[in-house]
Amino acid sequence: MRLGRALRPKEPRHFLVATAAGALVVLTFVVASWLRPWSPKRGLGLFFGIAAALAFVLEMAYPLRRPKGRFFGTAKAWLQIHVYVGSVAFVGVLAHAGFRWPGGAMGWGLLLLSAWVCGSGLVGVLLQKWLPAALAEGLRVEALYERIPSLVDGLTREADALMADTSEALERFYADEVRPRLSRPTPSWTYLLDVRADRERSLGPFERMARFVEPEEQARVADLMSLFTEKLELDAHYTVQGLLRRWLIVHVPPAGLLMALLVVHVVTWMRY
Amino acid sequence: MSENPSVPLPRTELQRRYERRMQLLVPAGLEMLRGLKLFAGIPEKARDKVIEKVRKYIHVASFVPGDVVMREGDYSDSAYYIVSGEVEVVLSPVPGRKERPQVRGGAHAPPAGAAPGPQLTGMIGRPETNGTIMLSGFPVDALPSRRILMGADEVFGELSALSRYPISATVVAQEPLSLLQLRLPALRMLMAASKEFKAFLDQRYRERTLARHLRNVSLFATVDEPFLERVKAQAELLSFEPGQLIVSEGTPADAFFLVRGGYVKVSVRTGSSELAVTYLRKGDYAGEAALLLDEPWPFSLQALEHVELVKLPRDTFRELLAAYPELQEILWTESIARLKARGSVLRQPVSSEYVQMAMDTGLIHGESVLLIDLHTCTRCDECVRGCASAHGGEPRFIREGLKYRNWLVPTACYQCTDPVCMVDCPTGAITRQVGTLEVTIDEPTCIGCTNCAKRCPWNNIVMVERDEKRADGKPVEVASKCDLCLGRKEGPACVQMCPQGSAVRVSFKDLDRVRATLE
Repeated sequence: MRLGRALRPKEPRHFLVATAAGALVVLTFVVASWLRPWSPKRGLGLFFGIAAALAFVLEMAYPLRRPKGRFFGTAKAWLQIHVYVGSVAFVGVLAHAGFRWPGGAMGWGLLLLSAWVCGSGLVGVLLQKWLPAALAEGLRVEALYERIPSLVDGLTREADALMADTSEALERFYADEVRPRLSRPTPSWTYLLDVRADRERSLGPFERMARFVEPEEQARVADLMSLFTEKLELDAHYTVQGLLRRWLIVHVPPAGLLMALLVVHVVTWMRY
Repeated sequence: MSENPSVPLPRTELQRRYERRMQLLVPAGLEMLRGLKLFAGIPEKARDKVIEKVRKYIHVASFVPGDVVMREGDYSDSAYYIVSGEVEVVLSPVPGRKERPQVRGGAHAPPAGAAPGPQLTGMIGRPETNGTIMLSGFPVDALPSRRILMGADEVFGELSALSRYPISATVVAQEPLSLLQLRLPALRMLMAASKEFKAFLDQRYRERTLARHLRNVSLFATVDEPFLERVKAQAELLSFEPGQLIVSEGTPADAFFLVRGGYVKVSVRTGSSELAVTYLRKGDYAGEAALLLDEPWPFSLQALEHVELVKLPRDTFRELLAAYPELQEILWTESIARLKARGSVLRQPVSSEYVQMAMDTGLIHGESVLLIDLHTCTRCDECVRGCASAHGGEPRFIREGLKYRNWLVPTACYQCTDPVCMVDCPTGAITRQVGTLEVTIDEPTCIGCTNCAKRCPWNNIVMVERDEKRADGKPVEVASKCDLCLGRKEGPACVQMCPQGSAVRVSFKDLDRVRATLE
């Protein structure tokens, strides 16, 4: 269900317009290449190349949305344009190349980089729709990414205070099994699949411990378990929010490289 | 006053004055209080006990000639009793009131000049009472003279304190002045302890302010003066403590209620639980459905905080409808909407959760509450960055706070209907323009007293350091809060700069919109 929601376009109208534009590009290519041999250097082949290049320039202008959402009014409009124009631009690149494998290294470089940048962008969109919903639905705690290490410190201090002057068994349990996992954020890839991953297994020892301690210490174990649950949730936030911030590494630098190659490509075409 | 009020004073001077004012504000002594007329209405046996109880909310304040005791447009949680000396009540010129550079009134409260003025010309000056006169009751629009003097044993500012209406005039000390500052709890305790005092306040309210308040309610906006006079005479003024039941569902309906101050929960019983349907606030009314249909109360009404109500007997209400049949349409529309809401809550009890949550968390006070949908928020902090860039690099909110289901209520000013932060600002730095939502802080005038930050029940005001140093060498601190990006034509940056459209602003006055947003 969550996947279905993640795949559902935020603005169906924009999605339809972009799909129609992409289909128009393909249809134009089919008709034009049927009428006469297709070449990226002239006619519609050249037109699609120029249009895609201009679209990439617009894509690179995405940071211009700050600070006032200039030109398109809101940052949301900017992002929608960024996503859909980028996707259609990639279809334009394919049409420019005549839907054939490129001939030289430059052609391959441009095609692969375009595909990578477009693909990583779409994966990013999917992550941005999938992961926040997973966090909101699966976790009780909400935390600012930068503050998670200090929040974990706070939990550790709280747990230390809670476990002071306790029975030897409980003290040993805390020192050996809980504190090492409590003392710092421990991101894990499993949280990307399930933000509550491993929870039952992680909390199992607390339940077993509660059976062994004196009745008056059971409340203390329950409190410790609650602190540990909070820590697990912070770990999930740390992992997921970390990914939501870092995925841009695979998108932005290649986009910069693509622009550089594009400039070389245009200059080469113009000069030779 | 020798100062030109349009020339702002430097912060150091404002700070010095505030400190002096604080030094002159001392707890009231028992002996001193015993001798005052203010407490004369309390039965002798109980008097000492009551005085002892209220004493902690009473301070003696001294002023020198020219000092401003209360400023027009400010909010206040205190009334003042003049022990000795004289004050001048300064009223802004009436026509259009355009010359007022800064009017500090709640968005709910239209400017005094805007409401159709009641015929109050016979009430000017000092009425023949037990020597007490209520400033709040001044028929501001009807005064032929702009200068009023008040002397010993007179009280002013009580309505603003009780109903959280902005103060209607500026009060300036004319000679060395000694006042009792009666904080809200003291006022309420005195009203409870002294029937005379309560009757006196009610009488003043009824004579001088009730008509204005009635006129502000759509129902009474077109009613003619003689009828309004009858309504005034027959209206009963009631006060309720937080949590107190006002009416119980199923009991016979014999009155129509108008909310004068505070919030009232409207709920319906189902099984053993009580489901919140909606809430009433200042200017709202209840009872029309039961009276129109001649049915028992379809809801229970409960005070969420100190509530002041105006109660109209059923017969008066019926006479009103007979005389003004066109009002029936307004009432039916309102009744149908409420009954629909009742039905919807009974069918889908979950929809009452939002209302209950809003009441439990205090969001009902919010006129523009920032909400972030955590389902779609990628935690990119573009909202915070947008806010910072709109405010010289310093964000005015924190993206953490209360979480309700998938909604986050960040630590950002709610722009409350009755902004308690505006009570007690010693320099008038915190203001709200009439008819607007934004409660703003004028930084050059803020002396960093922290009163507003301490008063905000949701900690939505923070103190930030400036490079400037105070006389004692410590860094200057000023209060900082969300101002809805006042003057930014694109609107609040937090909403505009959210790339996912997850940030929204809602007014909890409009429960339908809130429901539509949250669901």
